[in-house]
Formats: sequence, C-alpha cells, structure tokens
Amino acid sequence: MLSSLQNPRQAAAQLLNFGLILSTAFMMWKGLSVVTDSPSPIVVVLSGSMEPAFQRGDLLLLWNRNLFEETNVGEVVVYNVKGKEIPIVHRIVRKFGTGPDAKLLTKGDNNAADDTELYARGQDYLTRKDIVGSVVAYMPFVGYVTIMLSEHPWLKTVMLGIMGLVVVLQRE
Amino acid sequence: MASQEKISVYNLADLKNTSDDAIPNYLNSLGFRQSHRLTDVRLGLGFSALALAAAAFAWDYKFGFDATKHLTAVAVAIYTLLNGALALWISHVERGTVYVGTSPGGEDVRISTSVDKNVPVYHVTVEITSKGGKKETLKIDRPFAEWFDEAGRFVAAPFQALFARGVPVIGKADPKRARAEEEGEKDTAAAAATAYTPEMLDVLAKATVASGVGSTSDAEATGATGVAKKGGKRRKA
Repeated sequence: MLSSLQNPRQAAAQLLNFGLILSTAFMMWKGLSVVTDSPSPIVVVLSGSMEPAFQRGDLLLLWNRNLFEETNVGEVVVYNVKGKEIPIVHRIVRKFGTGPDAKLLTKGDNNAADDTELYARGQDYLTRKDIVGSVVAYMPFVGYVTIMLSEHPWLKTVMLGIMGLVVVLQRE
Repeated sequence: MASQEKISVYNLADLKNTSDDAIPNYLNSLGFRQSHRLTDVRLGLGFSALALAAAAFAWDYKFGFDATKHLTAVAVAIYTLLNGALALWISHVERGTVYVGTSPGGEDVRISTSVDKNVPVYHVTVEITSKGGKKETLKIDRPFAEWFDEAGRFVAAPFQALFARGVPVIGKADPKRARAEEEGEKDTAAAAATAYTPEMLDVLAKATVASGVGSTSDAEATGATGVAKKGGKRRKA
C-alpha cells in the first residue's frame, strides 16, 4: 500500500478511485435535484405534526415541477420560511387565486391550528416559490439514522471511528 | 530480491496486486520500454470528471441551486458521459491490462491478468505483436503458491522464471531465468517451486483449484521434494 505511493501513476489512480466515489454520490444527488427541480429532493421528517401520514424518520421524495397542473389543496408540500433553517412538511388546506402568485395556507394533519404561527413575522400565507416540492413517495423509518446523528452528535464520532478502523484493517 | 512487504496469503486481491506490481518492475529491469498510454487515458477521463464535479460543487455552494440549475444539468450530463466512457475504457480497452511495452527486440508486449473469485490461480494473458505485425497470444495459469512463501513474502525468482520460460520474448531478454528450469535449480528455497516438473505443478494446480480453498500450503514453500509430493497427494485425496 505504502510502496504504491512511490509510483505517481498508481498514487493518482488510488486518489482517483476515492475521489470518484465522492463525486459520483454528489453528482447523483445533483442529477436528482435537476430532474425534480428541487434544491433538496429528499428530506427526512423531523416532527410528528403530519401523523398518521408521516412519522418521525420517514424519508420523503419531492417533486417540484408543475407539468400538468398547479400545486393544489390536499397536496403535502415541503416549504421554507424566511429566517428559519429547517424546512417544514405540511398539507395545503386553502388556496386563493391561481398561478405563481396564488396564496397558500398550510396545516399539519396532527396540529390543532394552521401554520400562520409558523410563518415569518408579518407573513400570512405562502406562495409557490416558498415551496421546495410536493411529496410523491416516502420510505418509512429509513431517515431515522440522520435524526439520531444530528440529535446525538457523539454518535458521529463513534461512526467515524468505526469507519476509520475498518479502513485501517481492510487496507483497500 | 525477496520482497520488502508481507501480505496475507488468504487475501486474493493482495496476491494479485503484489504480482501485478512485480511484472512492470521485472520487465523494465530487462530493458523493456513501458507505455503508459492506457493508464494516462484512464487518469485523464477520471480526473476531468472529478474536476467537473468539484466545479459543480463550487458554483452550487457559492450561487445557490436556482441560479445555477441549468449549468448543473449540463454538468451532470457531461459527468455521466465521462464516467460511462471511463467504465467502457476499463472494461473494453484495458481489460485487466497490467503492462504494455516494447521489448528490446522491438516486439510489442501486452500483459493482462485476472483471477477467479476464491480460486488462488493467476491467469496471465500475454499478447505479442512482432515487428511484422504478427499477433500471438500466450496464456499462463499458475497457482500463486509458486511465488509466495507461507509467510506471504513475494519470491521473485520463480515468478520471473515463469515469464522467462513461458514467453519467448521475455526469455530472450533474460536467458538466465529461462535456462534455470532445464538445468535444475540450485537457487535455495527461494526457487524451490521451479524444482518441480511441469507435470507435478499441473497436478498441484488442479488439486488447488479442485479444493477451491486459498491453500498455499507448506508443500510449495518447503524445499524438500518428498514433503511436497506427500502434501500434494494428501490434498488430492
């Protein structure tokens, strides 16, 4: 392994193999983004506000194109609120007007009240451009790993440690 | 001559990689001129794909998704093409090639190697194109145990003799190794494997293939022929 570093071509080839794994993963993600027209086409449900439809840890696939019809009442959408980091998954319950300027109101299936509380200060409704995508498919529970990792940062250290150990032991 | 580094004799990838690395070393030391064209094309394709992905990451990070999505779409398409070309290059052009070069006599030599899963036999294909353009293909299939001792050290002498004997172009460049077989070997334990007759080696190879286990066994590594014979029989039974 170390001796291969004396040969620049072999070292370059090893670096390439490692780089291609990372870059292919990234480009697949970007490809999915481009196809779905959504900056973040896969999201993980973080709260129980959409139960019983979605539970914490469900993985959602989003679609952000209006090929045949507009985004309508009843669709579950993911939207961003200005000044808030985390996107929210809720259902559209009211729609006033049509086109890109239609005013949309959302509500979590499991929440008592609609989302006006959650919007930015002074914001009473969403428009189409706030929406990151509509949910078209989901996979239950798969995303729980990321929730665990973000809520218990020490798990990241443990995981990195295990991965490092595997690399050292396997050498390949 | 004996090797620097020990490997695990149960790791087929290690056995193959170490042997693959030894081929260019040996041939270049005989005055063969190695051509790096295949590797260079592969590195070129791979690193341009990598550079494209890095650029896509950079503009996405800097300008956001919506401002750059058309550019990103183009980048994804080109990246897919480059990666596809790379895959085709590796599977259809390189085909496991570990060495391309020109012999001192002017013949073009191309050596590719492969192994079957869980079978410790080294398959070598040597393509020789003479100066007149005549093509000749030689195949050598030998168990790794012939040139790895039981501790996992690579032993150069039997490995090089394999090529010197099996490939006339290499034999011409290295007459000493090519002759080693016929004269009977006095080269100590290092060359023990070459003390066997080809028939015996075939029997051993078959036994190893049949059992299908990565057994390097004491048989090939120890010098004494009697022990080797017994080992071979026992394994066959």
